[in-house]
Amino acid sequence: MSAGRQGSEPLLRVSDLRVAFATEGEPVRAVDGVSFELAAGEVLAIVGESGSGKSVTAQTLIGLTRGPNARIEGSVALAGRELLGAREAELRRVRGERIGMIFQDPMSSFNPVYRIGAQVVEAIRAHRPQVSRGEARERAVELLDSVGIPDPQRRVDSYPHEFSGGMRQRAMIAMALALEPQILIADEPTTALDVTIQAQILELLRRLNRERGLATILITHDFGVVAEIADRVLVMHGGRIVERGGLDEVFYSPRDPYTRRLLDAVVRLDRAPPLRPSRGEPPLLEVSDLVKHFPVRRGLLVDREVDRVRAVDGVSFSVARGETLGLVGESGSGKSTLSRAVLQLLEPTSGSVRFEGREIAGLSRRRMRPLRPAMQMVFQDTSTSLNPRRRIGQIVGEPLRVQGVASGRELRGRARELLERVGLPAAHYERYPHELSGGQRQRVGIARALALEPKLVIADEPVSALDASIRAQILDLMTELQGEFGLTYVFVAHDIGVVRHVSDRIAVMHEGRIVEQGPADRVCERPSDPYTKKLLAAVPVPDPREARARRASSVP
Amino acid sequence: MARFAVRRLAGAAAVLFAVSVLVFVIFNVIPNADPARQLAGRTANPQLIASITREWGFDDPLPEQYLRMMQNILTGKVISYETEENVDERIVEGIPETFSLAVGAAAIWMFFGILFGYLSAVRAGGPLDRGLTVLAVTGISMPVFWLAAILLNYLAYELELLPAGGYVGFTENPLEWAQHLILPWVTLAIVYVGLYSRVLRSNMLDAMGADYVRTARAKGLSEHRVMTRHVLRNSLIPIVTLFGLDFGALLGGVIVVEGIFNLNGVGQYAYESLINLDLPPIMAITLFGAFFIVLFNALVDVVYAFLDPRVKLGSPAR
Repeated sequence: MSAGRQGSEPLLRVSDLRVAFATEGEPVRAVDGVSFELAAGEVLAIVGESGSGKSVTAQTLIGLTRGPNARIEGSVALAGRELLGAREAELRRVRGERIGMIFQDPMSSFNPVYRIGAQVVEAIRAHRPQVSRGEARERAVELLDSVGIPDPQRRVDSYPHEFSGGMRQRAMIAMALALEPQILIADEPTTALDVTIQAQILELLRRLNRERGLATILITHDFGVVAEIADRVLVMHGGRIVERGGLDEVFYSPRDPYTRRLLDAVVRLDRAPPLRPSRGEPPLLEVSDLVKHFPVRRGLLVDREVDRVRAVDGVSFSVARGETLGLVGESGSGKSTLSRAVLQLLEPTSGSVRFEGREIAGLSRRRMRPLRPAMQMVFQDTSTSLNPRRRIGQIVGEPLRVQGVASGRELRGRARELLERVGLPAAHYERYPHELSGGQRQRVGIARALALEPKLVIADEPVSALDASIRAQILDLMTELQGEFGLTYVFVAHDIGVVRHVSDRIAVMHEGRIVEQGPADRVCERPSDPYTKKLLAAVPVPDPREARARRASSVP
Repeated sequence: MARFAVRRLAGAAAVLFAVSVLVFVIFNVIPNADPARQLAGRTANPQLIASITREWGFDDPLPEQYLRMMQNILTGKVISYETEENVDERIVEGIPETFSLAVGAAAIWMFFGILFGYLSAVRAGGPLDRGLTVLAVTGISMPVFWLAAILLNYLAYELELLPAGGYVGFTENPLEWAQHLILPWVTLAIVYVGLYSRVLRSNMLDAMGADYVRTARAKGLSEHRVMTRHVLRNSLIPIVTLFGLDFGALLGGVIVVEGIFNLNGVGQYAYESLINLDLPPIMAITLFGAFFIVLFNALVDVVYAFLDPRVKLGSPAR
């Protein structure tokens, strides 16, 4: 932690950087006069929501913003040498050798057809052609070892798809560090990862910074991640830097109203929702011993079941009317399979699902149909769960039409009312999904779920694809609608902070089972299961002092 | 691997059986295809036809006739109704000409298809790309018989640069073999060059936007290496599928091109047999062609697993 050494020449100096993309209309100014410096060995976080220009800034630094439509002005100086307008051959030497870069999605960032080791070797030999393949391979093994990949001798020959998400990001970091660059640019390095894996990757980045003096530019939208690792913070909005300062300065005395808004919108683990009194009625939904196994079939001519994936392995819970049950788990925990099995979108292997006291497990499609209006679902990915060729009004009205509830003018009227109810102007009726922002699309998804006046809504990661400020708005809307329509929610998410914000009770899922469930406060403050404890400890706290205290106490 | 081979063999047998039954049934329901009349010749009288029908078993139940036919085809004893020559021997005679044509044309179209597709994608939007696009669309649009006629007229008859059709065996004289085949190769390859270059171009443009290509650039690889090792390599995988199916289909006979260039291959034989409604060779050639399509389908899967490590042979489809 060697923040801002005054007087010395900065490692990287960016002055009045501007990037504009020509479009049919006005050129889009993605980066609009950005200046900052990066000292050797410091961690600089650039925070902003999607569209703020933070990723374009990062890519422009190493000359990856390309294409005839991009106009780049200003200056990027690496140890005094200007990079903008430098020859491609010179830029290539900078990339990888002096500045390494890692990206958000470690799955798609590796070429799927080459072995991990071969891709690291390629990076080394691109800059050091005199290094033999064998030597480069040994170096790759060392690198994988240094970022904590177990059994690197063997793993160096794995393909990317054989690695887990966290291992892939480790390997990505190893590759970026192959030539010992002075600067690492990390563009949302943990956004696609589970929270426990995120904590490990952040720890790795911190270690590299401490041990090697690796200067790091961290691009993120998550203030929790910033508090864990940054020395200095820049906040970007609309292509400009609206706030800059040391970590504590930005967190505890933000000057810009936009920064304050972002910080306020961060959903915090320690903020509990108002408690709803339970009314002692029979539960709306009662799930007992629910099991969903997927058979693994193999055989010479006829497939026989040789093994089974126990996605949901004996799960029991109940949800009272008007209550919100939060279902937390990391990817692969079985939470999505569970929500689908509860709604009979997947046929359960065994177990019982009672809705309003009636057994629905194993009901045929036809017999489920009249019950469907009462249970609806809200999905995570709003760009794929809304039909791109249909207008918003048609999407919201479709459940009414399909169930024969309304048609013609009445249908259109109801759809408009629903849109207004979720906070969208009725004028959006005629628009298409791609013309709306992510938050607006999720409002459409909620309106569609509410069209048939359901009793139960299962929301599968409804806010995890959204920016922090939008996230809070959607959560508030859902809480508001719950009171108004008397809804019962099952809220599925990987982010225990978000879940706590809205849930009365929380169930924690791990490897197909519920390892702990209870009132939200109890589970978050006095967890009994070791997995829950691990999960809670991994959640980044958007508060630098607390984060430091926690780190200090956990250092061996 | 063993599991894959067993499944593929069983699948191939099923496909071939279905194809042969279909051809046999179609042949038996179309009018004017009485084989006894064909065998009896032009001067046949009803008594002769009746005796042939009895002798050859044309009044037996159809399943029985089918089995006899299949047995004869598979043991190499099947006889044409029209010419009364051995069908399997005639097909084997045609193989060198058909294979020479298909292999040469395939080499040409793969080379130029990949070259043009690559250049188009790397220079997307530029004058070279636009020029190649026009060429590709022209190539795809030209009817084979027309193109063949033009090439023959100018290059063979007027300029006398190349022979106008016919075939010389490779073992007899490799140079003349190639000279005789250049025009048919080019004629056959042009459509595929156009098609393949377009497919490769669009695959590559997709791949250029991929995250791993951004990673490759961030590693500091040269532009040439990014394009060949990462963009081209990954874009060739779908081309392999196309190639397997197209090439397999050609090995079963190339009717139009063989006819125009006077090549006595399997395609030419298929054409003659169809004109004469001669069932035995039609059955045999259909099976011959279907065999290669099935074979190359399986080969494509093997090559696929080799090119893309995420694909596992023989894992059940999801």
